[in-house]
Amino acid sequence: MNIKKLGKLVLPYLVWMSVLVGLPLLMMVVLTFLKSNALDLGTAEFSFDSWRILFSDVTVRIALKNSFVNGIIATIICFVIGYPIAYIVANSNFSNKLIILVLTIIPMWSNSLLRNNAIANILSERSIVNDVLSNIGLNFIWPIRGVVYESGFSPAVVIGLVLTYLPFMILPIYTVLEKIDKSLLEASMDLGSNKIKTFFKVTFPLSIKGVTTGIIMVFLPSFSGFAIPKILGSGSLVFIGTLIDSRFMNRNYNFGSLLSLVILLIIFGSMALIFKVDKEGETLI
Amino acid sequence: MSTRVLTLSRKIVLFFRKPKVEKTLKVAGAVLKWVFFVFIIFLLYLPIFIIALQSFNNSQLMYDFTTFTFKWYGMIFQERSLSQSIINSLVIAVTATIISTVLGTVFAIGIHSLTKKKRQKMVLLNQVPILNADIVTGISLMLVFKLLMYIFPDIFGFTTMLLAHIFFCLPYVVLSILPKLSELDENLYDAALDLYCKPTTGILKVIIPSISSGIFTGMLMAFTMSIDDFVISYFNTGQGFDNVSIWIYASIGRQMSPAVYAYNTAFSFLMILVLVIISVKGSLKKRKNLLKFKQNKI
Repeated sequence: MNIKKLGKLVLPYLVWMSVLVGLPLLMMVVLTFLKSNALDLGTAEFSFDSWRILFSDVTVRIALKNSFVNGIIATIICFVIGYPIAYIVANSNFSNKLIILVLTIIPMWSNSLLRNNAIANILSERSIVNDVLSNIGLNFIWPIRGVVYESGFSPAVVIGLVLTYLPFMILPIYTVLEKIDKSLLEASMDLGSNKIKTFFKVTFPLSIKGVTTGIIMVFLPSFSGFAIPKILGSGSLVFIGTLIDSRFMNRNYNFGSLLSLVILLIIFGSMALIFKVDKEGETLI
Repeated sequence: MSTRVLTLSRKIVLFFRKPKVEKTLKVAGAVLKWVFFVFIIFLLYLPIFIIALQSFNNSQLMYDFTTFTFKWYGMIFQERSLSQSIINSLVIAVTATIISTVLGTVFAIGIHSLTKKKRQKMVLLNQVPILNADIVTGISLMLVFKLLMYIFPDIFGFTTMLLAHIFFCLPYVVLSILPKLSELDENLYDAALDLYCKPTTGILKVIIPSISSGIFTGMLMAFTMSIDDFVISYFNTGQGFDNVSIWIYASIGRQMSPAVYAYNTAFSFLMILVLVIISVKGSLKKRKNLLKFKQNKI
């Protein structure tokens, strides 16, 4: 088994990853206990300020709530839409399923900020769609851009998140559905289950791996992003990403690092979950 | 009363069990399914149509379509800041894609050769940049590069952005190659070495050709991720080295030059064209091989 000798090829990658993942983590932890101007260690002093602000500041609480509310709603909608789409494609008798999948990837070649800007245009009081449609006597006005409910829910932001991250839900679910052994479904039918029961007892449990990956791949960027809320939420909507961005831009690396660690905590939780259901990372592509 | 309800419900059940009705329901279900599918795909593409519409709009106003024009396409390279950012985006994406495809292939072969436990740990580490939130990845890299600034003061700009893009592209390449490697017949590599191939020749002549489809997928993923990235680039740039996303982010809320819509439309169209050519070529090759195979058989 000569191929086993090739394991040493991985060493540079291990070093590269350890430096670029481990070192900044360490720096962030240290930074949260300091009061410094950016990374200037000469004037830095020991301080618990960042931790105190984290638990006392209202803005942080509002930002976390906004991120959670919009992120979770977007994830649920992506799941409700994405699962059936993946299911339809996986069970279709198209000769080239790849083409249908590419159909969901192509939008990603269009700049995502520009796409959200276009969505903002459609959802404004005066939109180019309405302008064109009005020529043929139709009207489409749905000015929900900038609408924010008390819970922090912003329909426009959720629409932007769903249209941006939906492919990340469809692809992993499709990957697992495609691999399901069709004879299992036949066996279930032969043993007297109807189609609906077969779906819930066989197909769905076998697709949990893809569903978990999909949910995480949609929730994490929705939760932590700051560009989409800025474009579609008209500036009044503060997300946790918005706060991190503004802290780092104002050279307050201490509080920015602490907020990043809060996000990291959620990410590590998700990674543990993925490692449990999908050890080889099959569903991530 | 209750008997009436019973007969009525029985009638309803019987009605739906009629072959004709059952068939109609099935057809209606299938139609509904595809209407839903087409509608969702339409929604995914709607923003792209809007961008295309804006690129053909004579007026600079976002909400006012006046007359049809191609003039913005000619303006793409007239606007200096925009054309510079387009060049930057392309240079970064192409360079990062090439480097991460080559390195990713080597690393994937390395990871595949590890024992099961070590491999799973490496795969988990490999997932960190994929699953990590962009903002955390961006800030992490920025912190490391800020440290490097003590040694290389001018590092921020092209170098940091390229390193950052390689960092988040590599895992996608590795992940798309790993499944192809597990389908590989390892005896082939053994046979190559038994026939006095050097390990490098063995990798190049035996392993790489059998995982080429995975390498291609990884390359495509890397390019897609790199060209569309905003957050990580935003934190790891400097000295005015902007890519298209950063240029757009800076112009949001202000009057954006419609040339950017023209660029975006032209770029998407070009990518689709490349993909169509590749898939048509691939299917032609398959057909040719099949014909050859049939002729040989006869």
